[in-house]
Amino acid sequence: MNIQDFMALEADSSHDELIDLRSLDFVSSYDSHLMCPICHCPLIEPARLQCDHVFCQKCLRSAITTFRSADTDEFPCPSCRTPTSQISTSVPRLLINMCEEIQVRCPFATEGCQEVVPRGHIQSHVDKYCGYRLIPCPDEDCEKMSRKKDLQVEQRCMHSYCRCSRCEEDIMEQDYEVSNAPALFNLETILINCVSQEHDKELCPSLETTCVDCGTTIPQRNLKKHIETCPEVVSPCMASKYGCTAKIRRAEIATHEQSCPLVSIGPYFEAQNTRLNSLELKMRHLQQRNEIFEDGLSNIRSTLLESARATGGNRGGRSATENDRSQHGRVDDDESANSSNVFSSNATTYLLSLHESLREEVSQMSHALTDLDARASMTIMNECLRIKEDMAHTNAAVNSVRMQVQWLMNPRLHNGARAGGMRTNASTAGNDTTRSQLTSTSAPGPSNAAGPSLGPIRPRRPSDSGREGTKL
Amino acid sequence: MALPKRIIKETERLMAEPVPGINAVPHEDNLRYFDVSIHGPAQSPYEGGIFRLELFLPDDYPMTPPKIRFLTKIYHPNIDRLGRICLDVLKSTDGPRKDNWSPALQIRTILLSIQALLGAPNPDDPLANDVAQRWKDDEPAAIQTAKEWTRTHAMA
Repeated sequence: MNIQDFMALEADSSHDELIDLRSLDFVSSYDSHLMCPICHCPLIEPARLQCDHVFCQKCLRSAITTFRSADTDEFPCPSCRTPTSQISTSVPRLLINMCEEIQVRCPFATEGCQEVVPRGHIQSHVDKYCGYRLIPCPDEDCEKMSRKKDLQVEQRCMHSYCRCSRCEEDIMEQDYEVSNAPALFNLETILINCVSQEHDKELCPSLETTCVDCGTTIPQRNLKKHIETCPEVVSPCMASKYGCTAKIRRAEIATHEQSCPLVSIGPYFEAQNTRLNSLELKMRHLQQRNEIFEDGLSNIRSTLLESARATGGNRGGRSATENDRSQHGRVDDDESANSSNVFSSNATTYLLSLHESLREEVSQMSHALTDLDARASMTIMNECLRIKEDMAHTNAAVNSVRMQVQWLMNPRLHNGARAGGMRTNASTAGNDTTRSQLTSTSAPGPSNAAGPSLGPIRPRRPSDSGREGTKL
Repeated sequence: MALPKRIIKETERLMAEPVPGINAVPHEDNLRYFDVSIHGPAQSPYEGGIFRLELFLPDDYPMTPPKIRFLTKIYHPNIDRLGRICLDVLKSTDGPRKDNWSPALQIRTILLSIQALLGAPNPDDPLANDVAQRWKDDEPAAIQTAKEWTRTHAMA
């Protein structure tokens, strides 16, 4: 047929619900000669050109629309560029069969279908046999998709939520994993058969359990609530933190608490506790502030004394009385008695300014002092910490050395003891005995030292005291 | 837009059976965009150089040719300053001449053509006119320049 006929043929053959064979997942590799040069998939509905090159009809159609020159009725073969005007849809049966028998995975593998079939059968598999095919819900108002196997015979919407009879939880109908098919025919049966279902086996919280304390049977989901209220559970008296040692069953605890003096006094204790806590906190604050003030005061006092000594004379005397206004006034009076009024007023302002400057100086000095104090205390603390750490390390080292010495001494001790025995048994032993004598004489010293702490037949690594030392 | 099966298959094959002297790796974020490197063919002025190219597959690939451009500077009569390549099979449909792209061609065949173009410059169908003129007038000097450019730009 010529190109126009071929193009027209293509337009007809489109019918819906076909699987896209090109998007299939091929299980095995296939011969590259079976592959359409355009889409690189095994040929689908092949067509043959005059030059005997074969392409999928669909690929060839799109290539023709793109590459056919407008003025001529010819089309260059995509593979060899031979101009072509005739296309044949009859291709060797052998080629078609080889393409159709390539194994593919079912397109609904993501829904759970494990089927692997030849490509030629995949359409019928999906149409007739595949239970995992997604089809629109038969209910026109429902927009969801159902797996075909979930729909079964009744052809009704499976997306309604229904209630599990035991746990009263809403489950989508299609999510019931029912073991026996007949149960699907009505909802009641499903609910009765709840026991055989996944939901019921694992998820349903309405399964029953027994309370350990009271022996009653209750639903699982109520267990927590039940334990909180179970009258048989033994629990301590409410006033246990104030010293009541009674532990009674919950049923009787009310009567106990009525008679328990600690319970009635409990609220009072509580209030006192909180008050104590807040007072302690306040105290700590006040103490800190007090310390600061005291420091400041002593600083000021010492600086004042020093400045008084330094300035000396009249002015020194005056400046020393900085805190004491009356004394200051008296000095002023003395001064004014000696001179005229103008001079006295001048002197007063001079003295006042002097006083001010001195006061400033003093405050600066006190600042500097506190600063220095803080720094000194920080350095001392740092040093202390370091030294403490060093001491701990040294302690640990000494302990480990002690352990090692003990361990080393132990065999020596044993040797010494054995050698001593030998010496008493055989006095004419020669060099060996003298050597053992040497060891035995060297042994007693350390053994005496280690003796009291070790004991004679202690294990090799006897005490934990050394380890405790290293833990520091 | 979903990636057509053909592109996936071509990429898989490029990875599984790479062409000797050609390396094409798709970008992770855009599988239509490839980083390509081509080794200069032996006995050519580009021998020893590794030339980097970018390759992009348009939406209607394989009905339109891939877009390819040299990123490495190269002295070649059919490749211009911007790295564009004058190769008949890369011409798109609506050119004045007969287009030579065919949907049966693939990334691997196009890259092989480019490698062949490096081995056989064609100054009669130039893209870089000055280079082509020099190639025609004084071929040994042009080849010398091409060798120098290869040394400076394509040998890192």
